[in-house]
Amino acid sequence: MVQSLEKVMDAIDVETLLVCASEAEGRSLMLDILKGFGFTDVDVVFAQFEGPGVRIRGRAYIHRPADKYQWLKQTGKAG
Amino acid sequence: MRRILLAPLDPVHDIGLKLIARGLSAAGYATLLLPPDLTTEEIIEQALQYNPAVLLLSRTLGYGVAENLARMVDLADAAGLRDNMKIGVGGMAIRSELAAELGFDAGFGQGTSVEQVVCFIEGTEYNPEVLRSGKTKRNLTDGYDYAWRHAGIAAKIDRITDQIIDWASRRTSPGVERAKLRDAAWDVDLWRARMGVGDFYQHYAPLCGELPANFYADGQLHPKTRRFSQQEVDGLEQYLAETKLRMSVQSLQHKRPGPLVFNQYGTGCPFMDIGHILASEAWGADGVIHFDPSWGARTEGLLDGFLTHQEDGTVITPANLNRIQRALEPSTLWQVRAHRGLNTPETVVLAGKIGADLTKINICYGSLAAGTDPARMTIDGYHAILYAKQYGMPFDVVTNEELSGVPAHKAFAGMLIVAGLARKLGARPILQPLFACSPEVMINGLMEDNYIDFNAAKIIALRAILNAPLWPGAPVGFLTHTEDRVQSAMTTALHACLAATLNVDAVSIASTDEAYSGGPISAPAKIDTLRAVQEGFRFFGRAGIAPTDQAQVFADQLVDGIEKTLTSVLACGDFVAALHAGCLGSREEGANPGRAGKDTVKSKTTI
Repeated sequence: MVQSLEKVMDAIDVETLLVCASEAEGRSLMLDILKGFGFTDVDVVFAQFEGPGVRIRGRAYIHRPADKYQWLKQTGKAG
Repeated sequence: MRRILLAPLDPVHDIGLKLIARGLSAAGYATLLLPPDLTTEEIIEQALQYNPAVLLLSRTLGYGVAENLARMVDLADAAGLRDNMKIGVGGMAIRSELAAELGFDAGFGQGTSVEQVVCFIEGTEYNPEVLRSGKTKRNLTDGYDYAWRHAGIAAKIDRITDQIIDWASRRTSPGVERAKLRDAAWDVDLWRARMGVGDFYQHYAPLCGELPANFYADGQLHPKTRRFSQQEVDGLEQYLAETKLRMSVQSLQHKRPGPLVFNQYGTGCPFMDIGHILASEAWGADGVIHFDPSWGARTEGLLDGFLTHQEDGTVITPANLNRIQRALEPSTLWQVRAHRGLNTPETVVLAGKIGADLTKINICYGSLAAGTDPARMTIDGYHAILYAKQYGMPFDVVTNEELSGVPAHKAFAGMLIVAGLARKLGARPILQPLFACSPEVMINGLMEDNYIDFNAAKIIALRAILNAPLWPGAPVGFLTHTEDRVQSAMTTALHACLAATLNVDAVSIASTDEAYSGGPISAPAKIDTLRAVQEGFRFFGRAGIAPTDQAQVFADQLVDGIEKTLTSVLACGDFVAALHAGCLGSREEGANPGRAGKDTVKSKTTI
């Protein structure tokens, strides 16, 4: 799994409909889900609450800009 | 006049605040909109001079912005402004929870309305329900007189439908007899009051095939179904009670009144269906369509009980339909399909008694592409139309045989025969042309340039023949979808917008799982297309999509083809024989007269 995650260019999005009573609850649930997957750099990109729940897109960044990208083979010496 | 000071903290972007300022001025407030990129100190100085009741700030959230906003609150406190002035902040990514954490009196996110801000200024409760469009059910057939506009086609359909009525007057079937029994002896009010249905099932079971007969004899269920436990039912009731308190419905339409937007449900499980329906309603669907399992159409008789099904399609039983009906929002149009199998007339009766608004009947599609024997489908369809009239349910006449390869002009001839029959019997049919990249289209390259002309031609042609409501489906864009959700939502939205600009009455749309066959459709996939269609309607407004001149050429060809097809049906001398002979779709074209219910049509004197 960790090796597979190295192939993610920058981020993984998770989008779903969560059954909940408010947008705030939905946001909290999504962050819990992402952290439960083991992600640490997480956020909610979009959330739209309507009566049945929240349509939500959560994001886990694997590589931020200026990180050392694990999908880029590090062959040369730092110069 | 209360004074409102508006200040964009953003260095450039102040459009949202300008719109709010304009709205507040129109609402009678004195407003002062400051230029962008002032410092917090300069804004505080302006507030001290202007003495507003409310200070509204706008700022797109980004790096370091939270600190600036907190500083604004601190400075306002220090200047003594907070005693008589409320401060609100709005902008992209601003949430009320964050605004409260930073010390603001309110926070407004993207899409904030002027009414919402007025409620904040006045200290009144913001109730979006009052402001949302009050959706009400609409009868799709209102305003249509079903006048023929093409004399030649009208004359041929008149003769064909006379022959059908004469043929049907001397025949019946087990499906017709069950429908009669359900109509006469199954009292929905007594059933709902748990007072039983008398000896209904003693008479009903002998009219059923093996599966329902076993069910009524000793409770055997279909192997892919099970009953819900009481615990599950209690859970559903609680879920519904809680959700209904929060429930509201959006409108998808923008400046045009239509088309109404329907989507289909039928996961197999009525509980999941209810969840999907609530999501569809909340995100704007005007109507929902019950999709039953394919084996249900080949089974003589309906089951009973509150049953869940492990595969695609939700079993039609009184309890399943009743639970779903009770969960619907008052504005939602509910269609129960009856069109294709051995329970067609009884399904119409049951749906009518439970409270459906619409049903679906097409003798030709059911006979040629859905596996039901043409004679059986004709007698059952005839009675289904009569029951649809009796229960006040308009019905669409779907033309999905096009998906098997039947050319549009032949499918339309069949649709118009059924619509003409319904017209003659006093029912209210709705024409349902496919908006699809059908086999005929692919083989003949009819959409090589665009998806517009041939679909538009269908509407032009049908309007040249009959003044009847139009409901393209089912779903629009059939065979243009892929598993990619962005592509799928896009093609659905574009086809729905084409339908809107052609001023049709309704459309059926797919989810973005339309082309995915690995599992059930998901709720987010349904919301995807509803959002896409809503945005499409917003984009086009009252503007149009212009077909090329080729659309009229296609339309003329369709009308000509329909008339020739009707001539061939008449030459056959018998409608059922014409179905077998391929007049309305041949085996070479992909139509195959069905065998379910073969030899079950009886003379009225022998049953």
